[in-house]
Amino acid sequence: MASTKNLAEISKGKSYEVAGFTSETSDYAEKLYKMGFVKGTPVELAPVKISDPMVVQIRGSRIALRKKEAQEILVREVGDA
Amino acid sequence: MHKIERIAIAGVPNSGKTTLFNSLTGARQKVGNWPGVTVEKIEGSFPLKNTRVELVDLPGTYNLSPDTEDQKVAERVISSGEYDLILNVVDATNLSRNLYLTMDLKERTNQIIVLLNMTDVAEKEGIKIDIDRLSHDLEVPVVPIVAVDKTSVKGAIEQIESLIEGLPPHDSHVSKQEVMDTVKKYSHIDEIYGRVAREIKDRSTNFTNRVDNVVMNRFAAIPIFLASMFVTFWFAIGLGSVFIDFFDIIGGLLFVDIPSSLLNAVGSPEWLVVMVAGVGAGVQTVATFVPVVFFMFLALGILEDLGYMARAGVVADRFMRKIGLPGSAFIPMIVGFGCTVPAVMAARTMSTKRDRFMTIFMAPFMSCGARLPVYALFCAALFGAYSGLAVFLIYLAGLFMAILTGYFLKNTLFKGTPSNFVMDLPLYHAPRAGAVLKSAWLRLRSFIKRAGTIVVAAVFVLSMLNSIGYEGGKISFGNEDSQSSVLAYAGKSIGPIFKPIGITEENWPASVALFTGLFAKEAIVGTVNALYAANDMTGATEAGAKEEAGALDVGGAITEAFTTVGEGFVGVISSFDLLGLGLISEDQATISEEIGADGSVYQHIAANFTVFSAFAYLLFVLMYFPCLAVIGAARQEMGGYYAGVMVVYSTLLAWAVATLFYQVAEGHSIFYIMLSLVMLLAIYGWLHLLGKKEKDEVAAVAPPPVINNCA
Repeated sequence: MASTKNLAEISKGKSYEVAGFTSETSDYAEKLYKMGFVKGTPVELAPVKISDPMVVQIRGSRIALRKKEAQEILVREVGDA
Repeated sequence: MHKIERIAIAGVPNSGKTTLFNSLTGARQKVGNWPGVTVEKIEGSFPLKNTRVELVDLPGTYNLSPDTEDQKVAERVISSGEYDLILNVVDATNLSRNLYLTMDLKERTNQIIVLLNMTDVAEKEGIKIDIDRLSHDLEVPVVPIVAVDKTSVKGAIEQIESLIEGLPPHDSHVSKQEVMDTVKKYSHIDEIYGRVAREIKDRSTNFTNRVDNVVMNRFAAIPIFLASMFVTFWFAIGLGSVFIDFFDIIGGLLFVDIPSSLLNAVGSPEWLVVMVAGVGAGVQTVATFVPVVFFMFLALGILEDLGYMARAGVVADRFMRKIGLPGSAFIPMIVGFGCTVPAVMAARTMSTKRDRFMTIFMAPFMSCGARLPVYALFCAALFGAYSGLAVFLIYLAGLFMAILTGYFLKNTLFKGTPSNFVMDLPLYHAPRAGAVLKSAWLRLRSFIKRAGTIVVAAVFVLSMLNSIGYEGGKISFGNEDSQSSVLAYAGKSIGPIFKPIGITEENWPASVALFTGLFAKEAIVGTVNALYAANDMTGATEAGAKEEAGALDVGGAITEAFTTVGEGFVGVISSFDLLGLGLISEDQATISEEIGADGSVYQHIAANFTVFSAFAYLLFVLMYFPCLAVIGAARQEMGGYYAGVMVVYSTLLAWAVATLFYQVAEGHSIFYIMLSLVMLLAIYGWLHLLGKKEKDEVAAVAPPPVINNCA
């Protein structure tokens, strides 16, 4: 299994997929889950130069998240699985 | 054969469902609220198969889990089976996330037609969708549509008419056994998406992304944000204010002066004239808020339609989160410096009830334009060269109290409600003038109807109390701003309450003025002006009070009304002083002329107040119960219960803070210092209890949430 990191740590130009949440039962996880942050969904950093809130691209749309809260989302870099 | 009488439109925010709703219903719309909640309900009707069917626009939601008020409403409406058909608007540019709602809908009803919107934009963006395949895979009819295009909408109606025949018989239990969890739904969506969508070009260089690269650039983001906020404020407050005097004068003419003259002419009894004038005054009050509320909704509508609103929320989030609110709360706060009424209404752009209500509680602490004349008058009377500094300190105190309020609420009334920031960034597109104007007009109409009625009623009652006097067993009218009115009597008798903030019993005009401040905060100026003068030379009041009841001059009033618009335009274009801060000066004559007070008022204020008691009084004016129009707007947005809590909270806080300030600065009464501190604690405790009660009630009503996100 490849090393997972949280969404706040991802870097530009690389591809990731959602690996889960630090707490699967939090309201935040529940909310994002329904927005499409389910395991295996490709996610990447949007090429905008604002860092907090951060902007990610997922399922063809752009979503802004607070960096601190994005730490609850776990991701895995695609290709090193 | 299906009989279709009521149709609901469902869709995620920004999917274009409201545009479609507008195209379908045209001018036949009414805005109200869903029963029991403060979620907006927009209804209309449109012709389908030669009969008019009812159409309702459901709140925009991403899913139907009961996490937010909006979603609860949508869920309840769809599951109730009250609607014969659900039109699910799906944004083709954001298919996979839009289809989640479709999955949720399918679990609750089989009477669905999907309207695939913005297929044209999607192709420009680089996505081509196989509609037949989508329909086949979803097992739901799919009709492509361009909601902004009338011809396309017309074609879609025809298609819907023929598709209705083919819908399966209604069965609310049909899919109970097929309930899927989130993961299953998304994997199902991913399968469908893979089959129906084809990426025909790279999306990373599209228009929206290019604009975002500028708008959310590290260096340009803040200047662009500030510029857009300035334009919003200019639009709502600056442009709105241009018409305030116009509406005030015309409203006074139409609803107060003309009816009174007519009644007087036919010899109506005085009580009838006073009552009619009282109702008229209420209507006039609501009329003065029409321009600011309309322009504010227009400005918000343009930002929203443009797609910038979400970005503004992102940029402002960095500093707004420090006070426990999302970035989108910035707009109501900034609008609050102009007028609290549109600020309260602007809070509805926020998605969660907690954020919305917290913002509404905090907005009145931003010093509005109507409070400035009061500050300017008192500061000029007592602070001389330090006027500007004193006013600045009051503004700052307001900001501080707003932050304190946020802190209080976060830990009491709204404790335990999670606040996180997840903002969808929609595509940019040119605002559509028709749609934006129309939605501003609808919201204005609902403000007039819903907030307006309560404001008229309250102004009426207050006008009565202000007019009726009782002396020597005789009831008289026309005692406005004199010491013989019931209101003045009430103000005098509760005078002792204000002793700890430095208002002596001889200074009763100051406490009476707090009540006329309910009409609008600037009314305090007129009241203290008149009452001090009257106190000075008893008997002169009558002359002052009768002055207004002079001959009716319709032509003159209309000319004046139009002149104010002209002057206002010149002013708003030539000056950037939107807050009217130019009013603050040490030159007393200039100020008194500007705000319509007598020159002698300064001596009266100086004689009745000390520097510290004046500042304490202004602190109280800053914070105590907002004007009736704000209370009406708050009731419209939060319901009577929370509006009541807000009024009580702000008044108690005003008293505690003003007392604490005055006693520490000048009064030096240990007892009152302790009392004000105890009061602050009591306010906190009270909110805490309310929060607990609320939580228990919610827990008693709502079933525990079902967690189904195990992968």
